[in-house]
Amino acid sequence: MLKTTVVGNYPKITEDKSAPNLRSALNKFNQCKISEEELEKAYEQTIRRVIKEQEEAGVDLITDGQIRWDDPVTPFARNIDGLEIGGLIRFFDNNVYYRRPIVKSKLAFKDYSTVEEFKFLKQNSTKKVKAVMVGPFTFAKLSKDEYHNEIDKLTLDLAEILKKEAKKLEEVGADFIQIDEPSLCFSPEKIDLVSRAIKIVTEGLKAKTFLYLYFGGIRNLIPKLFDFQVDGIGIDMVSKPENLNLILESSFNKELILGCLDARNTKLQDEEELLNLFDRVTQKFSPERIYISPSCGLEFLPHQTALMKLKTMVQVVNEFNRSGRD
Amino acid sequence: MLLTATVGSFPKPDYLVKARNLFSRKKISEEELKELERKATQDVISLQEEIGLDILVHGEMERGDMVTFFAERLEGFGISGPVRSYSNRYYKKPIAKGKIKRTSPSALEMFQYAQGLTEKPIKGMLTGPYTMCDWSFNEYFQTRRDLVLNLAEVVHQEALDLDKAGAKYIQIDEPAISTRPDELDLAIEAMKIVTDGLKAKTISHICYGDFTTIYPKILDLPVNQLDLEFANSDFTNLEIFKDPTFTKEIAVGVVDVHSHIIEKKEKVKENIRKALEIFPLEKVYIDPDCGLKTRTPEEAEAKLRVMVSAVKEVKEEMGLR
Repeated sequence: MLKTTVVGNYPKITEDKSAPNLRSALNKFNQCKISEEELEKAYEQTIRRVIKEQEEAGVDLITDGQIRWDDPVTPFARNIDGLEIGGLIRFFDNNVYYRRPIVKSKLAFKDYSTVEEFKFLKQNSTKKVKAVMVGPFTFAKLSKDEYHNEIDKLTLDLAEILKKEAKKLEEVGADFIQIDEPSLCFSPEKIDLVSRAIKIVTEGLKAKTFLYLYFGGIRNLIPKLFDFQVDGIGIDMVSKPENLNLILESSFNKELILGCLDARNTKLQDEEELLNLFDRVTQKFSPERIYISPSCGLEFLPHQTALMKLKTMVQVVNEFNRSGRD
Repeated sequence: MLLTATVGSFPKPDYLVKARNLFSRKKISEEELKELERKATQDVISLQEEIGLDILVHGEMERGDMVTFFAERLEGFGISGPVRSYSNRYYKKPIAKGKIKRTSPSALEMFQYAQGLTEKPIKGMLTGPYTMCDWSFNEYFQTRRDLVLNLAEVVHQEALDLDKAGAKYIQIDEPAISTRPDELDLAIEAMKIVTDGLKAKTISHICYGDFTTIYPKILDLPVNQLDLEFANSDFTNLEIFKDPTFTKEIAVGVVDVHSHIIEKKEKVKENIRKALEIFPLEKVYIDPDCGLKTRTPEEAEAKLRVMVSAVKEVKEEMGLR
């Protein structure tokens, strides 16, 4: 049986007027018109909605939609000594921005970043849940280093800090931890460094660990990518369609998350095409080892389309599983 | 020499923000909204004249997002629900759903209105085809190239309107151009279609990018002038343009539009002098890094005053008029 998961983030607001409106709550909070407690309530209502929508869509392994995150690095950067939060800069090739961390001095762990929100997810979900964190290399690449000026050193320092986060997430009940390293796709020459850094983060964890590579290709990462110390690898099959053949031709023997639904375009995938893709993959790999997911986080899409993609994904996977094509 | 300008947008006054809100909820008529847009445009023009800028803009009081504004007026585009761009800011993203066609001019009306208010030149403001494509969803076209080239024809028609209406400068913004250096050839090909046969001086504004990946190739973009940001990175990116020699006119961004802090005049002067070490004086224009719409009206005005005053002093020191 193929399973389904999501990659991470999810649209924070909907067009449904009756749903909790986090955008308006944040505006009011910034204008001092509502209290912190009221803002907190809006966050919790929104996260509950996001959990419920994934569960009702039938996704097997869900996240909290990263509703409290402005971008994938700031929530972590905020809790590391030696980092400042800098100005807005484009996030990869998307028309979306993140705040660039600036390395000012030696980095040191200050506090956990996502542990409380993970506990909330765990408590409020009936499905399996996944913790997601930015990978040390992507974190380093997205930062401006005014201190080390040396990507290797910065990556390894960040890995040590993220390791604490991962360890704590495991302690509070995370059975699945995903580490996102999109930057690796664009710096394949750094694969040994990234391999070392991921090993630092995952060493000794009992939770199932995934490395997710969205936005890019894996051609230049093979075969070393398959020796990373993780239980599974997530691959974006939309941004680089050749990734499918590359993985089919490989001797990969871990778990796979296949990002098959385009999370950066509103166009819905053709169901027949998806079924064919599932066919090809399951002829080579056992379906028990495979999760189907969107190609990256769903927050690049308006809410309605994001939800529709999730529903389509689960529906086609169910159809595939029922048909016994595997 | 050292003519001063702005990139395009000005902050909208509160009454206009409110009116746009009311209009979107169908509480006021289009004519009522337009009346306020014209009033705000008048104010933006008078302000620029009073500050002493050389090349004016109409201020984009009628526009929200620079891509969505045009997409809403074109056949073949739909508009999505809100998508977050950063922190708590959202925009509605266009969706290409069919062949893109123009049924009537989009930019012409406000250009003519603004130019009628002043003797100084008003820049005609357009969004480039590559950026239009990059910032839209695509449900129809097989390839990005197909969409970009279709859009190029449409933007060309917009440019021809402005040219015929007497625009001395036409600016075709391509802020997305530095996102994917491997598509730079496509952006250049599209711009060639847009600027073909224009009499006006053409400008393209590019921002938020790593110029190292697109320089010197970007000099092939078929426009007369490139408008780039420098203040935001404290002029550290100036070095990139030293070698090979910059061959076009350049508008140098000397105030940061993403900071509340008003630059010190001495600092701006120093940066202008630095820029003049790299670019030949006769090719340099001075402006802010980017559109001013994200600043408060007070901040925008203060930044422009510092900029104009800095340019004036640098000119005096150089013995220029």
